[in-house]
Amino acid sequence: MNDKTLRFLKKRFQDYYQDAHIHLPPEYTSREWGFILFDDMPKTVMRRHMAFGSSGELQDYFSWTVPAHAYYSVAYYEYPNASNMKDKNWLQSDLIFDLDADHLPHVPDSYPEMLENVKQEALKLYDFLSDDFGFGEDDINIVFSGGRGYHFHISHPSVRSLGSAERREIVDYISGRGLDISQIIGKSYVSGDSGRRDASMFVFPSENDGGWGAKINRYIISYISNIVNSNKPIKKLTDFSGVGKTTAEKLVNIFNDEKQLSLLKKGKIDMVSNTSKNLFEHLGKQAVDNLIANVDEPVTADVKRLIRVPGSLHGGSGLRVTTLSASELEDFKPLENAVVFKDNPITVNVTQPSIIEMKGNKYHVDEGVQDLPEYAAIYLMCRGGAEYGSN
Amino acid sequence: MDSKSLALYPFVTEAFSYVETLGFSLERLLNSRALDSARFRGKERVLQSIEDGEIQKPGLSGSGEEKTFLELLSYPFSRILVSCINDSYLIRRYALAEAESASKLLKTENKDFLVEIANDFNVSITPFDSHFAMHFTDYIKLANTMKDLKWKLVNRRLKRGYVHITHEEVARLLQEAIRDRIQNALPLDVSSEVCNTCNSHIDEIKEVLQNRKSDINIDDMGEVDTESFPPCISNAISGVSTGANLGHSMRFALTSFLLNVGMTVDEIVDMFNVSPDFDEEKTRYQIEHIAGSSGAPYTPPSCQTMKTYGNCYGGDEFCQKIKHPLNYYRKKLYKKAKKEKEKSQQQDG
Repeated sequence: MNDKTLRFLKKRFQDYYQDAHIHLPPEYTSREWGFILFDDMPKTVMRRHMAFGSSGELQDYFSWTVPAHAYYSVAYYEYPNASNMKDKNWLQSDLIFDLDADHLPHVPDSYPEMLENVKQEALKLYDFLSDDFGFGEDDINIVFSGGRGYHFHISHPSVRSLGSAERREIVDYISGRGLDISQIIGKSYVSGDSGRRDASMFVFPSENDGGWGAKINRYIISYISNIVNSNKPIKKLTDFSGVGKTTAEKLVNIFNDEKQLSLLKKGKIDMVSNTSKNLFEHLGKQAVDNLIANVDEPVTADVKRLIRVPGSLHGGSGLRVTTLSASELEDFKPLENAVVFKDNPITVNVTQPSIIEMKGNKYHVDEGVQDLPEYAAIYLMCRGGAEYGSN
Repeated sequence: MDSKSLALYPFVTEAFSYVETLGFSLERLLNSRALDSARFRGKERVLQSIEDGEIQKPGLSGSGEEKTFLELLSYPFSRILVSCINDSYLIRRYALAEAESASKLLKTENKDFLVEIANDFNVSITPFDSHFAMHFTDYIKLANTMKDLKWKLVNRRLKRGYVHITHEEVARLLQEAIRDRIQNALPLDVSSEVCNTCNSHIDEIKEVLQNRKSDINIDDMGEVDTESFPPCISNAISGVSTGANLGHSMRFALTSFLLNVGMTVDEIVDMFNVSPDFDEEKTRYQIEHIAGSSGAPYTPPSCQTMKTYGNCYGGDEFCQKIKHPLNYYRKKLYKKAKKEKEKSQQQDG
């Protein structure tokens, strides 16, 4: 990134910060703040250990020094501006989850697909936090990171004093790590009076159990119901290994009988044949793979982490770090809704050919000097793929 | 809470204030002839904790007020004795024994009583017909030190923020809170005059403690004996020596284990020096980081953590008896030393 580009970006970010409203976290005066400034670039210098006593002071800092990247601590400290971590005296921390497209099992090539993938993960995480952990909509602050993912902030008093190990337990729950599925579904051996493990029974969870049991019950039942209510259910069921025509027909009957279905939902499984039980066990494992949300464990466990300031701009994309409500998440389109710059033409010298999809438009950008709408030009310059001006 | 309950659960907040209202001065607790048996019982608590790991609680239901008082007053005296000796192993063992005994008793109490004790530890539980509900934040604070996988939150029935737990499980979880409270309050600030008054009791306890310690070989593990390593560690070493790449968590477990049993950074670097892409400087840096600049290395992960990350491999019968890879090693060493001692004694005789 050359000087001219830096000056241009700084000016445009500054214009944004003149009017923008920075989202202040609870007890913002107890937080440590950190910034990477355009003035220090191209070197990456983090100016941290800062603290602000009023929102006006913060607003001024943003509009006068113009950070390319802005962060605050998830931690609340007694002395947030002490220059070493020990002297800050940690008091408590928000509970944070980080979802990053790069950390998902399948990483697609295109940026829009990545963002769509990670949004699905965010929706799953939201379900965990509300259904299992009982947080209300107002307790969960969902933030698009401006880059490749989402941050969830929870500042509820009940979670603030949790230590790292305890936060890891929450991550393990959400990612299914350490889950002992044999206790939830499958053949289980019960010790007889003599202590011999000779009696066996098939365990199946109830939707009223809560926890992973309830999730697995709901998944299996909705999975099979979908098949039963589709075309050619017998054919689809017999496609599973070990499932014959008789078993399939029996399953269809059970799922069409509301009384039996409601017993199944309550975890009663006596009426189901052994072959179907094997199918259920198979689907139980599939349920876990499908329901887990891949959150980044080290981020949640780190009680002193710095996290991007909602309402600030991400210097690597020019997109706004955007706060969303739960109902907005489903329809949120980062490459439209997080774009803050206009579409007046800006001349840039493109150094890396790219495909950009923003605000519903798709640009195939080749190397060389050309005009692009400002939002796309800024995006490309922030990514390091173009320089400002015609030379 | 009635006085009998306070005597059986003397660590609750109410017991402290109750003892204060009784008006016994420290001087009387230490010297009064009338309190001889409270002091004797106080010493007994500590001795039982060392020798049996459990404190026998008296049945107080039919007893008179005096017996109840003596039981209640024996507790502060125990804490004075433990504080005078001020030994970290004793403090841990004593706190655990007090907590385990209380937990055992709690299993037999009714629901309301459990709720009351839990409240004393700022844990709120709601009783239902056949179970309790506890908020998940309280649950993980209490359960996260437990080794068995069944205590992991992921294996619990969690619904709208609340964990479903049985009566017995509440008692077990409260044991953790009780132990923490007792352990964190020790040692008390006791003057040397106070300790001098208790000298005869203290000497007796110290002797028993010393025997216990030399029995389990607690301080020095001596020379590194690779034959006594647990299977997970032996397996990782044979993996490394054939050039296999260990995952991050296993590399950490292996390195911290080896440092803790007394291997030097150099020895460990040599051990990793087999793979073709070996980078000595990087390896050394990482090992030194785990060794800690202050000289105190990180402790290797417990068996439960090893299991969680899929690093528990080839567990044998001995593994059933331990919850931590280092204890496997300690116990094996102890067993081996004992065997050799017996052998040499036989030869001598």
